[in-house]
Amino acid sequence: MDGGLLFFFQLLVSGVAVGCLYALVALGFVLILKATDILNFAQGEVIMISAFICYFLVTTLHLPFLVAVLITCAAAGLMGILTERLVLRPMLGEPVFAVVMVTIGLSIFLRSMTGILFGHNNLVFPSPFPKETVKMGGIILSQTQIWIMISTLALIIAFFLFFKYSRMGLAMRGTADDQNVAQLMGISVKRVFAMIWAVSFVSAAVAGIFLANVMVINLGLSFVAVSAFPAIILGGLESIPGAIIGGLAIGIIENLAGGYLDQIIGGGVKDVTPFVVLFLILMVRPYGLFGKKEIERV
Amino acid sequence: MAIRSKTFRESYYEDIKLFQTIWIKFWMMLFIIALVAVPFVTDPYLVYIIDISCIATIAALGLNILTGFTGQISLGHAAFLAIGAYTTAIFASTLNMKFWVCLPASGVAAACAGLLVGIPCLRLKGLYLAMATMSFGVVVEYVTVTWEDLTLGVRGISVPTLDVFGYALDSNEKLYYFLVAVTALAVIAATNLVRTRVGRAFIAIRDRDIAAEVMGVNLTRYKVLAFAIGSFYAGVAGGLYAYVMHYIHPDHFTFLLSVQYLAMIIIGGLGSVLGSVFGAVFVTVVPEFIKALAQTMTLVFPALEDKYDDAWNIAAFGLLIMLFLIFEPKGLSGIWLRIKTCFKNWPYTY
Amino acid sequence: MNVKRVLGVVLVCALTCFFSSPAMAARGVTDDTIKLGLILVKTGPVAALGLPDGHGMVDYMKYLNEQGGVHGRKIDVIWEDDEFQPPKSVAALQKLIHRDKVLTVITTGGSQQTIANMKTINDYKLSNVPNALMKEFFDPYHPYIFAMGALYETQFECIVDYIFNDLKEKNPRIGVVYTKKEYGKIGLNAIRERAKAYGVDLVNELVLPTGAVDASSQVLTLKQNNVEYVITCDVLPPIISFVKTTEKYNYKPKAIFGFNWATDDMIVKACGKAAENYIGANFVGGWSDDSPGVKLAKKIAKKYGRDEKSIGLTSLYLHGIGASLLFGEAFKRAGRDLNPDSLKAAFETFRDFDSGGIFPPLSYTDKSHAPPEMIKLFKADVPNKRLKAITGWRKPMKMK
Repeated sequence: MDGGLLFFFQLLVSGVAVGCLYALVALGFVLILKATDILNFAQGEVIMISAFICYFLVTTLHLPFLVAVLITCAAAGLMGILTERLVLRPMLGEPVFAVVMVTIGLSIFLRSMTGILFGHNNLVFPSPFPKETVKMGGIILSQTQIWIMISTLALIIAFFLFFKYSRMGLAMRGTADDQNVAQLMGISVKRVFAMIWAVSFVSAAVAGIFLANVMVINLGLSFVAVSAFPAIILGGLESIPGAIIGGLAIGIIENLAGGYLDQIIGGGVKDVTPFVVLFLILMVRPYGLFGKKEIERV
Repeated sequence: MAIRSKTFRESYYEDIKLFQTIWIKFWMMLFIIALVAVPFVTDPYLVYIIDISCIATIAALGLNILTGFTGQISLGHAAFLAIGAYTTAIFASTLNMKFWVCLPASGVAAACAGLLVGIPCLRLKGLYLAMATMSFGVVVEYVTVTWEDLTLGVRGISVPTLDVFGYALDSNEKLYYFLVAVTALAVIAATNLVRTRVGRAFIAIRDRDIAAEVMGVNLTRYKVLAFAIGSFYAGVAGGLYAYVMHYIHPDHFTFLLSVQYLAMIIIGGLGSVLGSVFGAVFVTVVPEFIKALAQTMTLVFPALEDKYDDAWNIAAFGLLIMLFLIFEPKGLSGIWLRIKTCFKNWPYTY
Repeated sequence: MNVKRVLGVVLVCALTCFFSSPAMAARGVTDDTIKLGLILVKTGPVAALGLPDGHGMVDYMKYLNEQGGVHGRKIDVIWEDDEFQPPKSVAALQKLIHRDKVLTVITTGGSQQTIANMKTINDYKLSNVPNALMKEFFDPYHPYIFAMGALYETQFECIVDYIFNDLKEKNPRIGVVYTKKEYGKIGLNAIRERAKAYGVDLVNELVLPTGAVDASSQVLTLKQNNVEYVITCDVLPPIISFVKTTEKYNYKPKAIFGFNWATDDMIVKACGKAAENYIGANFVGGWSDDSPGVKLAKKIAKKYGRDEKSIGLTSLYLHGIGASLLFGEAFKRAGRDLNPDSLKAAFETFRDFDSGGIFPPLSYTDKSHAPPEMIKLFKADVPNKRLKAITGWRKPMKMK
């Protein structure tokens, strides 16, 4: 392959790796959105807290990485259930706006608590993956990136199977579709909501652990959630495959814009491009790429 | 005179009157006197905090007209503030214009930007609209950083002192009266707006846009109008911000600021003019209040001083927001209404 | 009508009440204490920069108090948090002046905060050391601003000089990675000009935002263009990600340069072997320097129970100690009769003031508050996990 083409593919593959992270973050958002219509502003804080928890399990308690990941996921799941129970349950039936605001309050609270508990220093995660790079037909990938892609894929397949075949997954889909009918069918909507928050937080935790591997761990980690916003919308708010494709698309768009446009236009178009693309897509398709158009009845 | 009972109205006009009873007029007067007296009884620090809340109030009013009354969620309010602030900054510093040119120009510039966003966003609803406005915010931030010839980029623009017909407002107290006056104007204008035909159209759109259309409300016109008015308020607030801070920078108008304004109107109460005021004051004043409280605590209990961390203040603020909304999802204006009815119906409270 | 009457009342009252007078008494100084303010970020994502700096400032003052204070007065530092938001910094300064009645503030935060507070600083004669290195703070002369560190321009000029003169490169391929903040932009322009003066154009000018998730496209672009020297103008966290990403893609430039906010032992600790070609410029000494000033700083840190880990960024702790050292010396020189004017006059008596290696010799006069235009370069010392000075204090070369 010649240099230019190789450069393109390299950017593309790196974009997919970042896109996987965005997809995981977006997945967390969409799960809650689909079932409860709430945009959870505290999602970024969950990502950050998970990164911190995993860091401390690995460095202070010297646990093996995999054990630390499992404990972190469990902790995140527990946090999801607690959040639902303590914060969201009392708000059941209240206007969506008020509930969204509660999540904003929660995000402010969690961010400062993280600062108090874990300190404000920049921490660097001791990467569990070997440093040697992998070469595939001229394209270089680090093992971290490969593991990010594999884990995301595994997680997505797991989610797919869970929603398709498990009893709980079915209950979740039913609840997302129509709460009243689900309740009539004997599904405990409260329990389903608690589970959805737990699953969503676990997805955020996995994203957090991998982000900790590529970024520096500090309170700024929570703002990654904002960069994933275009991914949620691009795919359509209520579509899980949409969130994943949206995430990948944003990752690729960012990297290609960074690789090509930044050299031509300059001035950091890399971060703006996803938002511009999002705006344009919304002009053409007001419900995102995969969102369902709501049929409005008067 | 009979004992005052429930208000009895005979005509529709009475129902939408600004001052429903003589008591409201009385309390208004008292409030105005209190406002005028503030700088005499407090120090410039508190006056500065009120200055900032005035600006926040104006911007929050704009967002409430757009989001609270018309139901068009915006996560890009900071962008309109930025446009207003930069218009004032450029007009006042580079072109040496007076405030009575700069501030209206800021409003108009922001309103034009509002039209620019409002028209393509007509088809969007809910979160999709929120994200589209957020994208607009990101683009505006990019432009203010990159277009250095106009905005001086990341250097930021220094803004000259506000000069009202030859009288330089060079201290917080002097600015205070000006800001309170402008805020009063903004509040009165907003109150009047929502009791007119336009306001009713806005509310109809919020409640059910298709039903509103069937009833003859021109959706396109009123949605775009809501964007323009909301942005106009934000623009004026941005202009005032430039004058008060004497310096603006692209970093001042980020996504977080938009979220903060959304927080103000939700905490204050959506679709309520009074709510915007409450919310703006709450979000700007309460963190300072918590800080002062925490510092008093460390004086009373010196043992706490080592354990004390400023992050606790912010955590407390977040917790307070959560508790408030769990306790009263209609926001501060809901609480206010409850207290008012309680007093009004006394002793027959229920 | 009612509305008109309301407006009338507001207007009349507003017009009659247009007066105020800030009190200008001997603020903040009593027989046995000096009240000193400090505004630096303590919470949020940038707290990692503010905390070590502020701890350094507070610790030195504590140390000074334990030595008996200055002319019998103890120094009481009141540290306000501004969350790195200029409006909050302005509010904090108002509080410090009017509620706490401080003599002055050590700093009001970064460049944005200092510019936003400029009017108050002049009105209340608050001599302070801004935490930013912009030319406009001392040129034109501002009576109460005392710049301490070399300008961003100076730092990057020294870096480019180093490539051409010390590394003896004739036609190097230089790329810049910057962020869209004041230091990033100033740095980029300085590098571009300086390289042009040597007859070389920059190969790439890429943006790396402070909160970037990923630096792949930047690294790949630099690699694609065979850039040999990467000069970064960004703060630590993104630079750490950047350096780690270069390792990911087997990209080995001859050197990666950084400026003062990214020149800290932290980078070697965080990146390990990936940072072996990292060279940083700084206007304060290194934590591993063998100078009396740094030794004093280490002693103070130890005294107040801080080790390298709990300090965080040691270069910033050193910066904080340095700023406080300056204030301590100024208080000493101002004598018993301490007020804003005598403090300013005391600062202006500094002639080649020696801090023992924390910062280069420094002079202020009543005409200029310019900082010493000198920096040191530090290179990564991977086995010892630290940066090691490779030059003494140096100025940019005189260009013909």
